Amino acid sequence: MTETHTYEIRIQGHLAQRWSAWFDGMEITAADDGSTVIRGQVVDQAALHGLIQKVRDLGLPLLSVTNTHTGATS
Amino acid sequence: MTTAPGLTPEVQLGALLQTKLFAPRVTREAVDRPRLTAVLGDRLGSGSWPPVLLVSAPAGFGKSTLLAQALLGGSGPGRASVAWLSLDSGDSDPSTFWAYVLAALRTALPAVGGSAQVLLQSPGSAPITTVLTTLLNELASSDKEVVLVLDDYHVIGAPEVHAAMTFLIEHLPPQLHLVLATRSDPPLPLARLRARGQLAEVRAADLRFTEAETAAYFDAMGLRLSAGEVATLEGRTEGWAAALQLAALSLRGRDDTAGFIEGFAGDDRHVVDYLVEEVVHRQPEHVRDFLLRTSILARLSGSLTDAVAGRSDGRALLEALDRDNLFLVPLDDQRRWYRYHHLFADMLQARLLDERPDEVRDLHRRASAWHERDGDITAAIEHALAAGDGERAAGLVELTIRAMGKDRREAQLRRWMEALPDEVFTARPVLANGFVGALMSTGEVRGVEPRLQIAEHWLDAIRAAPAGTVPRGLVVADLADLERLPGWVRIHRAGLSLIGGDVAATMEHGRAAIDVLGRDDNLGYAAATALLGIASWRQGDLESAATAYAASMRRFEAEGWVADLLGCAITLADLQWTLGRLREAERTYRDALDLAGRQPGGPLRGSPDMHVGLAEIAIEKNDLATAREHLETGHELGDHLGMPRHPHRWRIAEAHLHEAEGDLSGALALLDEAERVYDGDFSPDVRPVAAMRARVWVKQGRSDQALAWAAQRGLALTDEPDYLHEYEHVTLARALLGAGDRSATQLLERLLTAAETGDRYGSALEILVLLALSRQGAGDIGAAVAALSRALELGAPEGYARTFTAEGPGMTRLLTAAAKRGVTSSYAAWLLSAVGAPPLQPGRQDSLVDPLSDREVEVLRLLASELSGPEIARHLVVSLNTVRTHTKNIYAKLGVGSRREAVRRADELGLLGPARG
Repeated sequence: MTETHTYEIRIQGHLAQRWSAWFDGMEITAADDGSTVIRGQVVDQAALHGLIQKVRDLGLPLLSVTNTHTGATS
Repeated sequence: MTTAPGLTPEVQLGALLQTKLFAPRVTREAVDRPRLTAVLGDRLGSGSWPPVLLVSAPAGFGKSTLLAQALLGGSGPGRASVAWLSLDSGDSDPSTFWAYVLAALRTALPAVGGSAQVLLQSPGSAPITTVLTTLLNELASSDKEVVLVLDDYHVIGAPEVHAAMTFLIEHLPPQLHLVLATRSDPPLPLARLRARGQLAEVRAADLRFTEAETAAYFDAMGLRLSAGEVATLEGRTEGWAAALQLAALSLRGRDDTAGFIEGFAGDDRHVVDYLVEEVVHRQPEHVRDFLLRTSILARLSGSLTDAVAGRSDGRALLEALDRDNLFLVPLDDQRRWYRYHHLFADMLQARLLDERPDEVRDLHRRASAWHERDGDITAAIEHALAAGDGERAAGLVELTIRAMGKDRREAQLRRWMEALPDEVFTARPVLANGFVGALMSTGEVRGVEPRLQIAEHWLDAIRAAPAGTVPRGLVVADLADLERLPGWVRIHRAGLSLIGGDVAATMEHGRAAIDVLGRDDNLGYAAATALLGIASWRQGDLESAATAYAASMRRFEAEGWVADLLGCAITLADLQWTLGRLREAERTYRDALDLAGRQPGGPLRGSPDMHVGLAEIAIEKNDLATAREHLETGHELGDHLGMPRHPHRWRIAEAHLHEAEGDLSGALALLDEAERVYDGDFSPDVRPVAAMRARVWVKQGRSDQALAWAAQRGLALTDEPDYLHEYEHVTLARALLGAGDRSATQLLERLLTAAETGDRYGSALEILVLLALSRQGAGDIGAAVAALSRALELGAPEGYARTFTAEGPGMTRLLTAAAKRGVTSSYAAWLLSAVGAPPLQPGRQDSLVDPLSDREVEVLRLLASELSGPEIARHLVVSLNTVRTHTKNIYAKLGVGSRREAVRRADELGLLGPARG
């Protein structure tokens, strides 16, 4: 049984839907305030850091990282 | 040491890629940015270039371009030359990283780094600090300065590399300047460098294009824009260099400049994403296709892009893209290799993933096949993994196992293994066993057992199969690896058993390994015998342990793994000492030190440890000046050249020296320190610091405290003596003696029996000395002298001193008594002189530096007779030559030149003793 976490990463600027594949299928939603939320499950901290690194490599300003839900799946 | 799976490599790992050492060229369109380059250039020219320059900003901010302009452009780097290294994620492997750093430095200073390179490439475990120390020494004696640029440092994830970089930065000679270009601040001691004024920084805010620079840039690109348009673009891109460059590309050849700028400014999409879309959209279909398909490649050549994109005009396309400034970076002067700008490549790849997800695997598979043909196995493996082609990756990884072990790149090997899907191991015993080796040599036990079982399962199947056939379902990349498998599986089993504390199983598997290992498998033998050595040691069979270690050392030497040999030498010398062979122990240390000194690149790791060993021996021989010299040399060589236990062993030896010099509280402080830096390994801790401390307490007259320690430790008089607790039990006996407790005698007698049964004559010697003191305390002088006589017989041929002389006035009286009875009298006289006791007879025996052996005294007495040489030989039943040798030694030790002089001098020294008296 592994614990999965749902994270929301908010970045400044709008990112097109097609970036979903680049972010391993995570959900990409543009918000009205000009920011974008990348949302989805990550298996562990290493995966989360990998994700943040991808954001860094796009040169996008990072606004927030939130753990929205912790659940257990078998 | 026990699990390195390296023999002679058959697969050559990829040679260093020269393209990574290629400094970027400054392009025509690059805007001069004097506010940045001038500052850097001036500081470099004036000699105030900081030791470390950090250029930290997001992707596409123009870090590399700025550095190329400042370092390679007009004003240049002054008197310093420039070494450039573009890092990629594969360089997180420490050996790879430093191999590239050395190669980069040598492009600038060919005379520097040679020894370090030899060290880095030498087999066995040369630690990186040794390599760096050698490099720093070479740089420090160079009359040239060098600026080392490490571009894309953010790709380095390995803490080992950061640790070694910290070491490098902290020992940076004035000749070396470090420049790190990175997307995120590296985990190096930046705050400390800032505080010391040793760090200069260029950050995102500095790199953003100002409005003036933006205007100059569009001007240089041949685009006529109004001040308002420039301001709009500058505002929308926030001075982001990559975005400005893309904007210029989009504007080129476009009629409706104003419309484009308006549309761009009014859009809130990711600025670079938006512009890439614009640029790519404007390319002809076949170029678009080429860009997407080749975006998965870390570097591009005509032939490689042909293979991947399924075309035949790759080279022409690359040249066209280069001409059009489409984010292509040349990696050499021949226009053979290029790469996309990283940010541009990421943008293209995101499109590829989105638009053609089904193609991606196939593209990687083709790239893998091309790299395999080209001989770059590392790139072939990376692409096979990215293709999700586990079978292909497994086959490639399997072929690199031995070469990776030989290069000490087990960490990288382990990362590959961990990236492989579990199921590929099931059919591949060689791969499974290689995974076990990679795990164990990087200190991981989890995951070992199931893989070892896979290998064992197939070994059973092979035995059951008809001779010369391979069982159905077994997959192996190189059949020769199957022959080596049984031995290495047993070695890994032995190692696993040892970690689990099962000594008997360690012995069993170790012996079985030796039975099946190939005759020429030096590392296999070295590993197996070292494991047997540790197991024998833990069982108290020191004789076998010493034999095993000596065998292991010969195999390591044959393979050139000197650092591993030195590790074994420490243990071997320790065993020899306990076995009572002080001279052999000394020779072991000396030979190992000589061997280490003969290695290219100067003193090797382990040299300080040898000096510590020689210091301990000098202390025993009561030669405190020599001991002091060895300890100082060991200290000067530095902890970084020592084995993991060096800091501990050095403090212990220093404590013993302080104790020998009479500074008991100083000794205690050093023992406390030693305890703090203790670094345990598989070898048993047979002389715990707590027991050493208790011994010093006894000397201080605090026997009660020592007894309290023994009670707390659970040591009792009635304990069954065993080797692992011998030192502690002898300590207990010392505490009892110190407290005047008669029960010490009984304990010592039992310890003596155990020591003699185990051939531990070094231990027996100390026990006999204590037994003599104990019997003396009971008033039984005859029995005391008898015990001491046996101790003297053991100690005389080996030159033991402090075991006797450190025991105080009681021992002085006993030695006097023994000497008077003529037992090894010259040796006893020498020991007495060492404690400054009054001479037995008037004479100058204290002037005899090297005491005569018993045999020599016997010969000397015959020389004092009327017998001729041949008669003496007959009398002793030896050859005349042997008598001559003895005679020569006697003359040398007495400092005389003739038989008559020798007899006169011996008489003066009282050496002819009772025989004449």
